[in-house]
Amino acid sequence: MKAIFSHLSFNQKLAIVAGVLGFLAIFAGSPYTSNTATMNVKELALLVEKEVDHVTVDELADWIIQGKADYRLMDLRNEKEFNEYHIPTAENIPVGSLIDAGLTRNEKIILYSEGGIHSAQAWFLLKAKQYKAVYMLRDGLAEWKDRILFPSLAENASAEEKAAFEKRKAVSMFFGGSPQTGTGRAQATPQLAMPKLEMPAGSAAPAGTAKKKKKEGC
Amino acid sequence: MNAPYFKFGYFGDEISLIVAFAIGIGFGFFLERAGFGSGRKLAAQFYLYDMTVFKVMFTAIVTAMVGLFWLSVFGIVDLSLVYVSPTYLVPQVVGGLILGVGFVVGGYCPGTSCVGVATGKYDAMIYLLGIIAGIFVFGEMFPLLEGFYKSTAMDIVTLPELFGMSYGLLVFLVVVMALGGFAGAEWVEKKFRKGAAQ
Repeated sequence: MKAIFSHLSFNQKLAIVAGVLGFLAIFAGSPYTSNTATMNVKELALLVEKEVDHVTVDELADWIIQGKADYRLMDLRNEKEFNEYHIPTAENIPVGSLIDAGLTRNEKIILYSEGGIHSAQAWFLLKAKQYKAVYMLRDGLAEWKDRILFPSLAENASAEEKAAFEKRKAVSMFFGGSPQTGTGRAQATPQLAMPKLEMPAGSAAPAGTAKKKKKEGC
Repeated sequence: MNAPYFKFGYFGDEISLIVAFAIGIGFGFFLERAGFGSGRKLAAQFYLYDMTVFKVMFTAIVTAMVGLFWLSVFGIVDLSLVYVSPTYLVPQVVGGLILGVGFVVGGYCPGTSCVGVATGKYDAMIYLLGIIAGIFVFGEMFPLLEGFYKSTAMDIVTLPELFGMSYGLLVFLVVVMALGGFAGAEWVEKKFRKGAAQ
């Protein structure tokens, strides 16, 4: 066999190599791997229309306080922003790494970024890849700061609003925030110090997800 | 890190131009080394006594196809990001025939005419001037031709999708076709070279 091969010309050897690689290609599967996706546009449009694609910051705060463990919270911002502050129990996975982050298709995934745009885009990416239970945190971290960390009460608030604010205060304190009374939120918020990055007492991270962090890029 | 590098943002527009320039120089170099700077050699293809063009081009096709297939299977190239031009069936068939006639008459195709110009061939220079004139005329006539230019649009079509076969099987069939083509080309060359000598 070896003797026969050594008697062949260079072109004939190359032809054999091409033939072998071509033959093995039949059994190698599709060359189009993980980066193509199909989506049912109508189904997605219906989900958006019915507003079943998001959770509110109040719901999320409630789940964290209760120590619910049936979801994974994804912070889509960059590592620096994540290290400055993130919602307790969140994992840092930038949008570009989301598909390769090892998420399973049936787990409940909640996405958030600074506002709503990045999480909406990431929501579409995951839905296109057939992830079943993907949600966005409505209005993202901005809303979390406004309603959970630094809720405010106007001076002329009604008795009903005052009662609701008392509840909100407790939640805010739980997450290390500081409720604002009597001042306009727009002026006050930029000076507010973000809470320390510690898990609030009494809450528990979802099982198997605590502080699991993905490295960015290649 | 996997390819295509530009689409994954590993370098910007400026570097991409340098890379394109380097690839262009490399492409031209190998065309020249294959003898494609000579209009006589290129035209000989159509008289069937020198099948170098066929063999070189089919070798390039098989090398690129097998290489891209296996690189993507191993995750080094993301084939879904490699550009595939959309199909406009009738205009492309007509365009191919016009290019073929020009190839036989002038002895060059657009790429090889640039190689000929780089090596100082006068016929290649005339041919390239013809190409530039053709581009100009086409551009001026485009409003008249636009309907035909955009007709029979089929979007992006690949043979495995069209024939409902696996990519691997297509790779194998093209390799078999190429190997058969090489053997056939050798036979045709011998037959017509002999005929030309008599």
